[in-house]
Amino acid sequence: MSISNSLRVLAIAIAIASGGCATAKWTVKPHQRELLADRIMQPDGDAQETAADDHVLSNREGAIGGSGTSGGGCGCN
Amino acid sequence: MRLQLRSLLGAAVVAAATVLPAAPARATQDASARVTVFKEPSRDNEGVTVTHPQLDVGTTLGPEFHLGVGYEVDIVSGATPKVFQPRPGPLNVDAVSSATKFSDVRHQFHGALSYDRPTSSVSLGGSYGFESDYKSLAVTGGTRSDLLDHNFTVALSYTHNFDEVCDANNAGLGDQPLKLKALTSSSHCFTSQTDVATHRVHIDTFQPSISWTTTPKLLLQLGSTVQILDGFQSNPYRSVALGQENNIPQERLPQFRERYAVYLRALYAVPAARGSMHGMVRGYSDSWAVQSVTGEVLLNKYFGNALLLTLRGRYHLQSGASFYRDAVGYRNLGPNGQYWTGDRELSPMSNYLTGAKLALFKRPEQERSSWYVDMELDLKYELLIYHLESADAPNADRKNAHIIQAAFSLRF
Repeated sequence: MSISNSLRVLAIAIAIASGGCATAKWTVKPHQRELLADRIMQPDGDAQETAADDHVLSNREGAIGGSGTSGGGCGCN
Repeated sequence: MRLQLRSLLGAAVVAAATVLPAAPARATQDASARVTVFKEPSRDNEGVTVTHPQLDVGTTLGPEFHLGVGYEVDIVSGATPKVFQPRPGPLNVDAVSSATKFSDVRHQFHGALSYDRPTSSVSLGGSYGFESDYKSLAVTGGTRSDLLDHNFTVALSYTHNFDEVCDANNAGLGDQPLKLKALTSSSHCFTSQTDVATHRVHIDTFQPSISWTTTPKLLLQLGSTVQILDGFQSNPYRSVALGQENNIPQERLPQFRERYAVYLRALYAVPAARGSMHGMVRGYSDSWAVQSVTGEVLLNKYFGNALLLTLRGRYHLQSGASFYRDAVGYRNLGPNGQYWTGDRELSPMSNYLTGAKLALFKRPEQERSSWYVDMELDLKYELLIYHLESADAPNADRKNAHIIQAAFSLRF
């Protein structure tokens, strides 16, 4: 393996490792999710209410979308 | 008719994208009843009132499945001009009296089955809705996965609508769109009568999103909606006064529309205040040249152990469709190209929404010994204020709308 190829592999390894560290740093641990599990931190809210609200506004505006989808990241699934 | 189109999509997508928060340890049933009253007063006539009851019930099927079914109704009544034309004046003295009373009832049934795993879920659903001049069948599927220790959630839903809309039989007009006749009554719709026709409308809707648990207090969500509509999209009852030659053809819209929206949502917990703040910004653009930006803020705060107050503020600003003109413009200048409309949705405008919701909820102190898991009563009021660019814009006689909602939900 040439030096240039070795350096390339090393650079890739460092990038992957640093990326992994960064991910670990950004990770919110399970014991830190108490607030995120609360109903007031759910992006989709109540499905029936969201459907009713969208029903009102989507008939009176020329735009759609943006009401959020499920996925709270609280780990409560 | 347009109520049908939009609401079916919304309900179907929500049904697909929404999975109950958790697969509980014991079998649970849930039921929710909600009534929304939308009242849009007019200075010229009785305006529009929509009463929208919803009923949803669901049950877990083992530890991993949830089945939900629901029924909703739109009871619409009011008065609206059938011809989009300049407001009353020396040359148009009967415009107010041309407002026509109408009423319609739309029924919709929907259901969804979801399969929930600890880090992923899949849902399949469908809905069927019908009213006197519109039928809609929608199928929807959705999936979501939690990644990297639940720090990221990727979700995708897809809905296809197989819709049918009733129209006046304008076959044989060829290339004479100025002679298009509006539908006068739905009494012959979906029958073999030759004075009406049925058009198909196909709608594809994709909704991808990614949520990122950024910190223990902050959640970010980036999402998009892509929708492609192919079919008859005009209001079959509406006509537009065009030019000085007294042409009053039926509204004419393109058969094809591509719609794109991107939104960013942020949720921030404020434990010191026992509350949270939500913010959302959305950009939207479509192939009819409608572009918009929307911003929304929600503030949540608990009071005691059983009361949650939510305040909501929202602002929406949009441009008009490329072929839109106000009523005076259409009358004086004629159509702007080969299409014309009297739809407020396609006009340049802005609106403000503000409101508050009170949620009163109750949970047993010891869940194992209680017959229910939780119950909740919601009351909500919102005020929607329109700002149209012209006094001759569609529905300029309606300056605001009141939205009142009450709901009760129970899990047991």
